Amino acid sequence: MIAGVNRFLVPRFPAVNERARTVEAVAAGVSAAGASALARTARAGTGVAVDGLRVRFGAREVVHGVTVGFHAHRVTALIGPTGCGKTTVLRALNRLHDGRPGVHISGSVRIGDEEVYDPRADVRDLRRRIGMLFQRPNPFPLSIRENIALAARIHGLWSRQDAAERTEAILREVGLWEAVRDRLGQAPFLLSGGQQQLLCLARALAVEPDVLLLDEPTSSLDPGTTARIEELISALRDKMTIIIVTHNLQQARRVADEVCLLLDGEVVEQAPADRFFQAPADERSRAYVDGRVG
Amino acid sequence: MRARQRGSAAVRAAAAGWPGRRRRLADADLSRADRILRTVLLVGTAVPALVLLFITAEMVLSALPALIYAGGDFFTHQLFTFGNLYATGQSVAHGVRAPLGASYGAAPFIIGTIASSAVALVIAVPVSVGAVLALVELVPRPVQPALSVFLELLAGIPSVAYGFWGVLYFGPAMAQHLYPVLTRLGVVLPFMRGPVGAGEGLLTTGFILAVMIIPIIASTTRELVRTVPALAREGALALGMTRYETLRAVTLPYIRSGILAASILGWARAIGETMAVLMISGDLLNTLPANIYSPFSSIAATIVDLLDSALTDPTGMAVHALAAIGVVLLVISLASNLVGRLLIRRVALGALPVGRGI
Repeated sequence: MIAGVNRFLVPRFPAVNERARTVEAVAAGVSAAGASALARTARAGTGVAVDGLRVRFGAREVVHGVTVGFHAHRVTALIGPTGCGKTTVLRALNRLHDGRPGVHISGSVRIGDEEVYDPRADVRDLRRRIGMLFQRPNPFPLSIRENIALAARIHGLWSRQDAAERTEAILREVGLWEAVRDRLGQAPFLLSGGQQQLLCLARALAVEPDVLLLDEPTSSLDPGTTARIEELISALRDKMTIIIVTHNLQQARRVADEVCLLLDGEVVEQAPADRFFQAPADERSRAYVDGRVG
Repeated sequence: MRARQRGSAAVRAAAAGWPGRRRRLADADLSRADRILRTVLLVGTAVPALVLLFITAEMVLSALPALIYAGGDFFTHQLFTFGNLYATGQSVAHGVRAPLGASYGAAPFIIGTIASSAVALVIAVPVSVGAVLALVELVPRPVQPALSVFLELLAGIPSVAYGFWGVLYFGPAMAQHLYPVLTRLGVVLPFMRGPVGAGEGLLTTGFILAVMIIPIIASTTRELVRTVPALAREGALALGMTRYETLRAVTLPYIRSGILAASILGWARAIGETMAVLMISGDLLNTLPANIYSPFSSIAATIVDLLDSALTDPTGMAVHALAAIGVVLLVISLASNLVGRLLIRRVALGALPVGRGI
């Protein structure tokens, strides 16, 4: 992997840093798991810092100034009820709102020390560094082999010579190799939904992202594949920053190191997962965790 | 019965509870207005099917005597003549009598029809698909509807206007400037060799037919592009692929079979085109076209051209002969429409623009 900028959070964002410091302090005091998560952040990696992000669709503002830090080598769950702006925030991170009529975005998103919304930013490379998995599997209408290799080849990461070998390695990593080894030349639409989603994950991993965005990646999947994807999320944490949008609180408990609750387009609370679920600081968080709202 | 078997288990269980078959609404349950509406709907449904059946049956019956007279020669012979309509003697073949010297060989028309529409298709498909993809991907969103309108307006130009322009200006200009250049391709493609003639022939007709079917192929393709799921395209964009890479990796593979279907619909329209072809084809009978610039004649154009004199045949065989080539056109046209529509249904397209008849 291309060595990223290797910074935990960006010093130029006081708001983010302040929050991050509070978070760390609390984490250090509260639990062993929190402390180990903290230890992990000391290793090199690319964090994502969102500062004062506002997203407006036409006249309707959906995200009202969200400031949140996503730590390197941690899984951060963005949770909140339907319509609270989780997905909108997530899609703002890799500029997927670009080119949609009527969308206005202000504020700052930084990956490493690179400003995502810098007019001079290389959107292609940014998106390569920020992989994404969607709510439903969306493989290309190409062969399984091409699904994995196409983007990697376009970005010049794979050559035609080593594509076969690396395709196998990636498919093995997501646990799909045995199922598809005999039909790499076939269309992916005959695979089950879960297998298609694993294929999409493999496709995302092939371009060697620093950050992985997961938009309710298991909402259309069976429990078996869900467990498999959650395992993979935990394993991938060592390699990248992971942000998962989910409205499944159980899933957030299972996979997240850190939780960020959004309500009506605003951050209510960001905290290490253990503390968030055991002792939420905000009354609204407590209500949400107890199932009294949302 | 079949339909009931295919119903879900729940439906079947419920149906089993009824005494005997599923109860139909009795007429008494319907209001007067309902009954009138039902009648109108039934008649409306029946009319197109009946018209198609009736025309097909009538054409085939009318064509039979000429088909029997010509036998297999109908498809292979090049000579198409009604014979000497004033002679006292008669020619007899396969037990059918026709005017002296009558010969109904339809090969030049069949080949001319297929060749001219094939040329049109080769020109129209890349232009239509390219135009639509450019419209969707390159043109700024606010301008898109305005440009789309031009595509549709193209369909509104009467074919006689195309024919007039084609024979007076377009054809001669092409024969003078473009075709001599194209003959250089003759090295690779023998049918591109000269002479180029005066501009009335296959290639000129192909160009004009192409312009006429571009709206059909383009509007169908545009609907196809709209059926490509946004999620699939976003998957490519999120991987850092450009719009053009997304086009190649997602959009084009998605609509590939649909483009084939759209082309077949366009083709069905081109083979039936009459007036423009009659004016531009050069109307060459009894000979197969020698090269791509050569004059020819199509089935539809020939029927219009010869109907007047055919009506003067006292034996009626001339009309039967025209009906026979009409049946060939009908069969090609129905078959390609059917195949096109089946293909389109396979790619699950909602509303599709229907080929415009003249």
